[in-house]
Amino acid sequence: MATNPMHQFEVYRIGPEIKINQIDISFTNASLFMIISALSILFIFNLGSSKKNIIPNKIQLLAELSYSFISKMISDTAGSKGKPYFNLIFSLFMFVLFCNMFGMLPYSFTVTSHIIVTFFLASLIFIGVTIIGFIKHGLGYLKLFVPSGVPLVLLPLIVVIEVISYLSRPISLSVRLFANMMAGHTMMKVFGGFVISLGVVGGWLPLSFSVALTGLEILVAFLQAYVFAILTCIYLNDALNLHH
Amino acid sequence: MADKKFKTRLEIAKKKISDQSDKNEGNKSSVLGMAFKMSTEFVAAVAVGTIIGFIFDNWFGTKPWLILIFFFVGVIAGIMNVVKSAKNMQIK
Repeated sequence: MATNPMHQFEVYRIGPEIKINQIDISFTNASLFMIISALSILFIFNLGSSKKNIIPNKIQLLAELSYSFISKMISDTAGSKGKPYFNLIFSLFMFVLFCNMFGMLPYSFTVTSHIIVTFFLASLIFIGVTIIGFIKHGLGYLKLFVPSGVPLVLLPLIVVIEVISYLSRPISLSVRLFANMMAGHTMMKVFGGFVISLGVVGGWLPLSFSVALTGLEILVAFLQAYVFAILTCIYLNDALNLHH
Repeated sequence: MADKKFKTRLEIAKKKISDQSDKNEGNKSSVLGMAFKMSTEFVAAVAVGTIIGFIFDNWFGTKPWLILIFFFVGVIAGIMNVVKSAKNMQIK
């Protein structure tokens, strides 16, 4: 059990089995870690915004820094028109970040290493951005698929290509996060297994690798949350400022 | 006195923020984000093209042909995605 590197991704039930019309909605370890992440976000940011000192304490500083980080990211990528969507992007970034970081704790479960979770988040963004685009520009949003200055003969092919590249957005978004998290955690487990099987004599080299990988994984956990949020901003920018 | 000083400083800081957000009107993105975007974009476009071809094949009963065509269209879309991202990076 301990040597199987994929065992850490197993979803199992906690508590009783709950079924509604063949659909299994039992409480699992995945739901437990999602709830833990969501509650700790709520806890930290409520604590950070409760005092409002002019000279902030540590938790308030954390909350303020993350606020200005996301706020700057939105104004850099989507401009001032992106400001109303701050709530969405902030919650997305924090949820992905906390899920990734809780996955770094030993014996924990990484929610974002399951493609169904990341694909759900990505399709939420994809559908939301498409709706926003149609609300802001009406049917003119379809101009996104017709680049200017293309000869009429090539137009049908170009439109098909543009539609495919638009549809590939949620897939590239979800696969990137899922693959990075899953590959990193599998690699850490594999090197951990080497330490045990090589014993005291040869185990030191994989152990040092394991330590280095842990640092790398923490970087990746942050970076993937950042990339997820910034790509949401870029897609939002495409929908808000149509520039074809 | 100190209160007034703080107020003027607040005004200046607020003005700086509004200047900044006006300057950065759209179309800019972080280089790092772009680099990560390019890495999976190509594969995703090929996958989507192939899936569309497979579905159309099942609909129209033209078994091997549409999946082949849409696979190559997907490859073209993937290359164009990457080229577009690279161009955006160069403009910056």
